[in-house]
Order: sequence, then C-alpha cells, then structure tokens
Amino acid sequence: MDGNRRFSKRNHMKLADGHSKGAEVLFEVLTTAYQLDISHVTVYAFSIENFNRPQDEVDTLFGLLRDKLAILADNETSFAQVNHVKIKIIGNRSYIPDDILSQLEEIERKTNKPDSHKVLNVCFPYTSRDDITEAMRKVVSSLVSSDLQRQDLNEDVLQHQMYMDPNTPQLDILIRTSGHTRLSDFMLWQCTANCDIEFVETLWPEFGFFQFFQILVKWGWSKTALAGWNTGRAKVYVYELPPAPPLVSVIGR
Amino acid sequence: MRLKVLNLTYHPSRSPQIIRDDVTKLDKLPRRVAAILDLRDDDDENGGVDGLISDISELAAWLVLAGVPHLTIYEHDGVVKLHISELVRYVSKNLRLYFGTDSIPTFAVRVPHTNATAYSHPALGTNVDLTISVLSRVDGKPTILELTKTMSELAANKELSIKDISVELVDEELVELVGPEPDLLICFGPSLDLQNFPPWHIRLTEIYWEPGNTDVNYAVFIAALQQYSQCEMKVGK
Repeated sequence: MDGNRRFSKRNHMKLADGHSKGAEVLFEVLTTAYQLDISHVTVYAFSIENFNRPQDEVDTLFGLLRDKLAILADNETSFAQVNHVKIKIIGNRSYIPDDILSQLEEIERKTNKPDSHKVLNVCFPYTSRDDITEAMRKVVSSLVSSDLQRQDLNEDVLQHQMYMDPNTPQLDILIRTSGHTRLSDFMLWQCTANCDIEFVETLWPEFGFFQFFQILVKWGWSKTALAGWNTGRAKVYVYELPPAPPLVSVIGR
Repeated sequence: MRLKVLNLTYHPSRSPQIIRDDVTKLDKLPRRVAAILDLRDDDDENGGVDGLISDISELAAWLVLAGVPHLTIYEHDGVVKLHISELVRYVSKNLRLYFGTDSIPTFAVRVPHTNATAYSHPALGTNVDLTISVLSRVDGKPTILELTKTMSELAANKELSIKDISVELVDEELVELVGPEPDLLICFGPSLDLQNFPPWHIRLTEIYWEPGNTDVNYAVFIAALQQYSQCEMKVGK
C-alpha cells in the first residue's frame, strides 16, 4: 500500500488525509477480494524501517491503524464480523506500545470466531528478515531442547514458525503500488516461489476495482493458458490429473 | 515490442566504445548485478548448458564494459556449477572478441556453495576486473536451514546464546555463505518469476524484467541499467 504520501502531496492534502484515503481504498479492495472468495489477504501496514520517519507521522499511522481496525471489527454489524473475517497482527509485537497492543489484541480476539473462515493479516511492524530471524531463533531453541530433531528440520518447519498462521496457503499474487520495482523486505520467503509479483504505477489511494480485477484476470490467464510457456518446459504432472477409469482386460487378469 | 525494434535497429554487440557511451549517460550504476537465467532444452536454440555459458559470457563482457565489478548468476538447477572450467574458458574467449588478445580483462568465477574460486589469470593475483558468482536453489532457503542447524550446534555447545541471534548476525553469516545482496536483478524471462532466488538476498534489490522477452539481449540489459539509474532509495522513509 505504497503512495499515500505522494498522493497527498500531489492533491495538496494533509498527510493524515492521504493515509485515511488509503484506508478507504483498502476496504474496497478487501470487499472485492472476499466477494471473489479470496480467503487470505495480507497488507503491509507498517515496516520496522518506518520508525525512521518523523515521530508525529509514526504516531498518526499507529493511531489511524488502530482506529480503522476498530471500525472494521467493533460490533456485530461491522465489516469483519459480517464477512466472517479474522484479523491477525503479523510482526514483531515488541515494537508496539502497550496501550495500542492491548487494543489490537482485543480486536484479534473479537474477530477470532469458529465461523471466521477469511483472514486479514495486517503486517505491523513487520519486515521479512525479522520474520525469518525470529523463526530461526525459535527453531534453534527447540533444536537445543531436543523438541525437534535435526533430521526433521525442513523448509516447512521453519516457515511454520514465522508470524503467519501455519495454515496460511501459498502466496499467489503480490501487488506493490506506486511504481517501485523492489520488495522492500515484504514476504521475501513467501514470494520467491510460485508467486506472481505485480508492480503497478498507480498510487495506492488511486488503486481501484478495475486494476485489481485486471491483475486477477492476468493471474488466471497465466495459470491456465500460459502454463509452462515461460520456461519452455511442460508443467503437467500425471498425478495431478483426474484419476483414469479402472483397467479391465479381456483376458481377465 | 519497443525493445524488439530497438534490438533490431541498434545492436552494438562487440563495440566496446558504444556500450561505454550508453553507460556514461547514466547518473549511477549498481555495484552488483544479478541475473536469473533459464536452462532450456538441449534441442532449443541457445539451449542446454552451452547456451547458458554463452549467455553468461555475453553478460560478463557487457558488465566489464559498463564498469560493474560484480555479477551474480542464478540458475535454479545449478547446472553451470558443474562446468566451471568451461565457463572460464568461454568467458575468456568472448572477452577476447571484445577487447583483443593483448588486453583481456581479468575475472574470477566463484561458487559460494562449494567455496571454490577459479581465476582467469591465476598468475596475476586475486585483484580482478569482474567477479562472477554462480548461485542456484541450494543457496537460498536450504542455506538458511543449514545456518539454523549450525547455530543450534553452537547454542548446544554454549558458544552462542539464543538471544544473540539477530537480523545483523544472520545477515553477516549469509553474506559470508552466499555473498552480498545484489543491487539490481535482471530477469531475462518473459514474466517475473523469482524461481526460489535466495529470499534473504532480495530485500531492497531493484528488479527488472521485460514482459515477453525470452533471451539474454543487450536491449534488456541497458534498459535495466537505465531504470536503476533513476530509482530512488529511501529505506522506510
């Protein structure tokens, strides 16, 4: 969700207004995604590197995030509860001030219901390197205490120790707005395999339904029509096809 | 499409002065360039290991001409790692075509995974014009797992405290094991597919690819350098 600041500068708005316009766009995109049955959406709300910004902007962002999430989740008729969305805070919680953290945990608790089958991961304050390091640290301590055996350690075991829920499916599409063509420490582990990365020129507050839809269509197209085209190697696995009918021989054996 | 036309009309292959002229117009250059290359079928044009090696030697020549000292090659299966002596021979041969026999630039080929290095001119010491690192899938997530195992051994022997495991420590170790993060990554495939490129090493890297392009060519290379020269670096700000 990149480009809120450039958007407010370009439109002569206050910085905080730019950020709230960004939050509105997020609601629209979420609505579209959940209607299309995309069950997991992850947003990069705040990077650990963003602590380099001026203190008042950091405070604005923290406050805005808490307020918007509260609106999302507050009561029976709010967006998250109507759509059965579970909100989860992804990231290093030791950076969050205690008062805000307790409010966020309250939101997580409120939306975590048995019938919440859709997930909104809010990365706050997050970097992927921090995520990988924390996972490594947890794995090292369970290796030392022999809760985990060396030979059982594989990529999935490490990934399950990361901030995101172990049941999170493989990332399919990563969208970065506002024209930068780098990942900026977001979901590095998850996006380097079998994932479509889309860099779009539009600033986040101007990102609309149409563009989102275009990206989805393109992804669908590349999954079906273009499968195997880019590497030149066929990508059809026999075991993934529907099972063939039973074998019957005329000689009975 | 635009690039295809450019590539047909403007193909300064083996003209060192023209390549250097293209680069001097730029504001800044990356120190480390990485490229993701695809292994094609042996039967295809420019396919097989030989095709990869010839692509690498072209890239190596362009980088020396541009003045970039580090090249990282990523190929998923790591087949190039088995043909290092051929690679050195072929890159030398290609550089000779660009620079003439008497003034071939020096270069080194490194395989971080096996910690092996081959020099083009072993007699001239380790100070080279270009370093080529060859990476594959094993240098990515599997190396992070290996590092985790090593750290657990150190922690079990009380040589490392678990609370000392930090982003800085992991970064230091992975730079040692794989090399530093590249500044610019060029994907020569038609769509952006990172093919399990080492995830730790792609944090702030500028990524460039040309939709629909299928081969290693100069037009894509120079377009990538042009984009890099215009990018701004903010890191969170």
